[in-house]
Amino acid sequence: MRLGVDAVGVTELMGVTEHTRALATAAAGLLLDSLESERALVAPLDPDKAEDPVGALLDEIAVWAEAAMGCRVAPMLWRVLAHNPHYIEATWRKDRALMSDGALSARDKRRTALGVAMAVRGRYLIEYTAAILRHAGDTDRDLIEILGVVDHYTTLNTLSEGMQIESDIRPPA
Amino acid sequence: MTTIRMVDPAAATGPTKEIFDAVLRRETGVFGATSVSNIWRCMGHSPALLEANWNRSRALMQRGRFSPLQRELIATAVSIGNACTY
Repeated sequence: MRLGVDAVGVTELMGVTEHTRALATAAAGLLLDSLESERALVAPLDPDKAEDPVGALLDEIAVWAEAAMGCRVAPMLWRVLAHNPHYIEATWRKDRALMSDGALSARDKRRTALGVAMAVRGRYLIEYTAAILRHAGDTDRDLIEILGVVDHYTTLNTLSEGMQIESDIRPPA
Repeated sequence: MTTIRMVDPAAATGPTKEIFDAVLRRETGVFGATSVSNIWRCMGHSPALLEANWNRSRALMQRGRFSPLQRELIATAVSIGNACTY
């Protein structure tokens, strides 16, 4: 990492990256193929029938979704994870902790998450993250700018791994 | 160990030298590099590849609405996602 990001910022970046990859894996594992689709490997829990604490958690996620995505419904991923109260609570709390403002802004974290989702070809996470960014005001041009970085670094990553190039980038003293 | 020998910027000539000079100016300005980074030196064996990727780097990493930091955050995260150790 360059450009003056300190250890806290780098650690937050790692958190955003691993969290996004993990969510993309979960979404793929659940066969979630689209933000609009109700199809999944496991049927989602009906928030109106969920008992607390899961019901309260799904309400909290729906409130967040209204602010972040413009739709007061917990996204499908969370409604499916709700079958396991421990799973949804630990993952949702982690999401809130990692994706909120910190050393890095929430907007920059979300743009970074979109880049990761694109890189790992996580269709559901691409749609999920793009919906949040669009609701926050990002345009088609912004999304293409993120894709350009993903595309270019996939090129550089392929070359550097294929040629086994030794790193010449050192952390600051 | 790198698969192929890297091009020495001091021995480069013509368009390859021009691009190496531009890369060094850019990387010195952005993060204080003192030499052309290895990824570009490796590409130096194929001037066409070097030029094409440098042009894409300028188009995708140096122009647009995002700050250099915002692009670097995405680039670093993508590199982790691609399991790239470089």
